[in-house]
Parts: sequence; C-alpha cells; structure tokens
Amino acid sequence: MSARSRRIAGTLARHGLRALARARFATGARRRAVSAQAWLAAFEELGGAFLKLGQLISVRPDEFGDELAGAMARLRDEVAADPYERIAPIIEADLGGPARELFASFDETPLASASIAQVHAATLAEPYRPVWGEELPAGAEVVVKVIRPGSAAALLADIAEGRAFIARLNRLGLLRDIDLTGLLDEFELSVRRELDLRVEGRVADRFAFDFRHDPKIAVPRIVWSRTSPHVLTMERMYGWRLSELDEAELAGVDAHGLAVHGATAFMRQVMVYGRFHADLHPSNLFVTPDGRIAYLDFGIVGHLSDEDRGWIGQVLAAFVYRDADRALRYSAKLGVVVPPEKIAKVRAELGVLLDTMLGGESADFRHFGFGFLTLLRRNGIAVPAGYGLLVKSLATVEGVARRLYPDIDIMDTAKPFVTRLIGESIGSPETLRERLPLAWRAAMRELMA
Amino acid sequence: MAEMDVMRLFAMWMFTHEEADELMKEAVARGASVEREGMTGGSDAFTDGFMAMVAEEKERLKAEIAAGTLGRPEPEDERYAELKFEVGELRGRLDQMQATLDAIAAKLGAGGK
Repeated sequence: MSARSRRIAGTLARHGLRALARARFATGARRRAVSAQAWLAAFEELGGAFLKLGQLISVRPDEFGDELAGAMARLRDEVAADPYERIAPIIEADLGGPARELFASFDETPLASASIAQVHAATLAEPYRPVWGEELPAGAEVVVKVIRPGSAAALLADIAEGRAFIARLNRLGLLRDIDLTGLLDEFELSVRRELDLRVEGRVADRFAFDFRHDPKIAVPRIVWSRTSPHVLTMERMYGWRLSELDEAELAGVDAHGLAVHGATAFMRQVMVYGRFHADLHPSNLFVTPDGRIAYLDFGIVGHLSDEDRGWIGQVLAAFVYRDADRALRYSAKLGVVVPPEKIAKVRAELGVLLDTMLGGESADFRHFGFGFLTLLRRNGIAVPAGYGLLVKSLATVEGVARRLYPDIDIMDTAKPFVTRLIGESIGSPETLRERLPLAWRAAMRELMA
Repeated sequence: MAEMDVMRLFAMWMFTHEEADELMKEAVARGASVEREGMTGGSDAFTDGFMAMVAEEKERLKAEIAAGTLGRPEPEDERYAELKFEVGELRGRLDQMQATLDAIAAKLGAGGK
C-alpha cells in the first residue's frame, strides 16, 4: 500500500469514525447529514482528485442522495490558489517567454482558482483575430487560465489509487448499491479532457459559431497565439454570476426572458447542434450588463450523434406531453432497454411520476429526472452514462433557469421547441416513406370500423 | 346502373371537409391552451400541440404571402459561414502551433521563429 493510499484510507476512516460517534443517537436525515459532512471534510483534507470527485458527486443526487450531493456542492467554491511563482514556469515553458513579455499587462494575483486550474487577468500586447467574431484589439482585457503545477499528475495518480481502493471495497462487498467504478470511468474521461485546455478552447469556438445568430448568447473569444495544452487565453467577460442576480435585476435585466432563452438555448445545443455544456452551474454562467447570457468554462461538454439527437427530442417530447409509452419506446433507442416482463410495471411507475412531477401547476423536472433514473435503477435497468448525463444536465438547466426566474416552467419552455423539432423531422423523406403507408392504413381502418 | 348524383358527391365532399376542419380547429384550440391543467397528457396531447404549431406556421405563411417575401433566400449564405469558420479554426490551430514552436525555439536557444 502506497503512502497516498494509506493517507486516503486513514483520512476516510478517521472522518468516518468521527461521524459515527457524532450520529450515534441520530436517525434518518440527521444521520445522513452528519455522514455527508464527514465525507466533505475528508475530501477537503485529501484534495487533488477528491475535490473534483466531490464536484461530480454534487450534481448526482440520484446516485448519492440529496444530503451528500448538497454537502459536496461546497467544493464548487474557491480552493486556495497557487502563488504566481509556481504558475510562471508553466506559462514560460508552454509559450516561450515570461507573462510580462507575452502580454501588455498580467496580474499576478489570480482572479479565481479551482481544483485543476487558476485564472489571471491580463491585457493583450497586440491585436488578435479570433476564429469567430470581431478582432480583439491590442489592450483588450483577457483572462489566462493556467493548469496548476502538479495537478495533472496528482489527479491521475489519485484516480489510479481510487481504482485499487474501489476494487478492494468491491471485493469486501461494501459497494453493492453504488457503481463507483462507472463513476470513476466517467470521472477519468472528463478529467483527461479538462487537462488539455486546447479542447476547451475549440469547444468555445464551436459554441460561438453555433450561436452566431443569437444576440443574447455571449461566448468568450479564444486567443490561440497565447494558448497551449496548459494555458488558455480568452476574452474577459464581465457580468453577474447567477448567485449575484439581485444586483442584475436591479440593473433592469429581463430575468424571465433570459431564463426562457437560456433554457431554449440549452435545448438547441442538445437537439440541434448535438453538443451541450454539461457543467452548467451558477459560477459558469454570467448575465452581462447588456442582458446577455455568457457561457464560461467549456471543460465538460456532452456530444451526441445525429441519430441520438432525434431520439432525445422524442424522449423530451414524451416528458413534455407526459406520454410514458413514447418515453420508453425512444429511451430504448438510446440504450435504456426495459425487459419485456418489466415493461408494464415500469410504464405504470413512469406514468405516475410524469403526472406527479410534471403534471401539476408547475413542472419539477429536477425531481422528475432524478426520480426517473432512480426508478430505472430500482428495476435493475442499466442507464448508459450519456443518458444519465443528459437527464442531469436538463435538471441543472432547470435549476439555473430558476435562479434567473424562480417561477419558470421548464416543460412549458420545452413544449414549442420539441413539438416543432419533431414536426420538422416528420418531413424527412425517410420518415415519410416509412410512415405514410401506415398513416393511410390507419385512416382506412378508422373509416371501415 | 344508376346515374351519379354530382351534387350529392360535392355535398359529401363538403361535409367531410367541414367535419375534418371542425376537428382540426378543436385540436388547435386544445393545443394552443397554455393551461397545463387542461392537458390530458399522452400522445393525443402531442398531436394537439403539433396542430397548434402548424396553425401558427399557417399564419406566418399567410403573412409572408401578404408581404410578398415567400420563398426569398436567407440573407446569410450558410455555406459561406461554415467555410469561414473552418478557415478560422485552421488559423487558430496554426496560431497555437506557432506558439508551441516559439516556446520550443526559446528553450533550444534558437531565438528565431
């Protein structure tokens, strides 16, 4: 057992025992809350991959419960930054000179810091023509995101340790109800992508192009001449984080319009472009003073095939119109296969969930989405990672939109969008060839009945 | 063979059209209703919603015909935009590669670009 493994095991055991002592007379929610705080304290102490893993857990209440997911949300907040002296060699090694020579100005005090990277303010020394949009003039304000030294090695080493640790827990039969190996796979993939900042830059450029006709969406322009695998330079965006929205409202922003627009923009990402921002949390979204939604941080992005986009549109339409049959039929095409002997039971349970969560005065997609995933798991039906990510992302979009406008009904917003999308898909020659003879026969059957 | 009653045939056609039109209008009205409580859910609700959107499209079509803008091409040529983006992406990649090249050159002490 390596020193790091011993430290991980020791830290988890110490916090676990402390939680047991604290919660000895507690039951139910109180017990779960104490346990969640213990996990949080252990993850904070262990740092490295545990900070990132905690962030992943924070958006999966379906898998880990509300208490643990809620506690881990604290890990989204700032983590201590590295001093500039540790960051400078990375910029110099990747871009061939010190920051003060590469930029007109460079602020050595970081603007923000997260588990993988930290961000510094700077200004451009010379104009730059970005992939899309207007040229950035000399002196333009930019932010320089730098991968923290040693974070890649520490993260990947922790993931390797984590694998061995989970294998041991599995052998002891302690993880029967939680698929930690699947979570770790998903986690490693996302971490590896995040460790090469060029991937994020390319995604940002693509988003800017996809939303080129939308004046209400802002995406920072990337300065590729000052970008490398470990350094990403992009236009600085000003505005309010969603958590500071009161200030924006005071400035006269149309919160309802923005919430609806933001939710629809997400649906376009999923169902029209096949690329979606899968890490939408309040600190990754700004509302600009001129009333636009600015997307930041494209580290985690979901990708969909053309075929999947169509099926997802159908599943979302099924949710909007509370059509359990349609939901199961098209979910099967996305890999959520319900065995024939369970279809009636799952259909009935889904019908109740649709009517309860989405059929009232105002729909609650977050609880519906996580309820649906739980329903599938309870019935022993495997949920592909992409499907889970999408449901989670839609639930997050609802949460984000509600921060802008608490009374927004995400299903009402989705209704015209998915209806039009499916309507348009009917016009494809393939669909017409397949469906028209069936429609004709159905019409004749009705007439003859 | 009895002679075909053309009036009767047209009357049947008109009747069928009228009935179908009434049903369609009802579907449009149901689909256009924004009251969630009024929706029954299921595939019928989707059909109603779809009919409401078709009715909206019909109104847009009528407006385009009235304005004489029907069938005019989009102002921006999408192919041009796609190509411009592709070239921009390539330029971005070259800029980034040049930055890496400069860094290597600096490390080797070669100095020049």
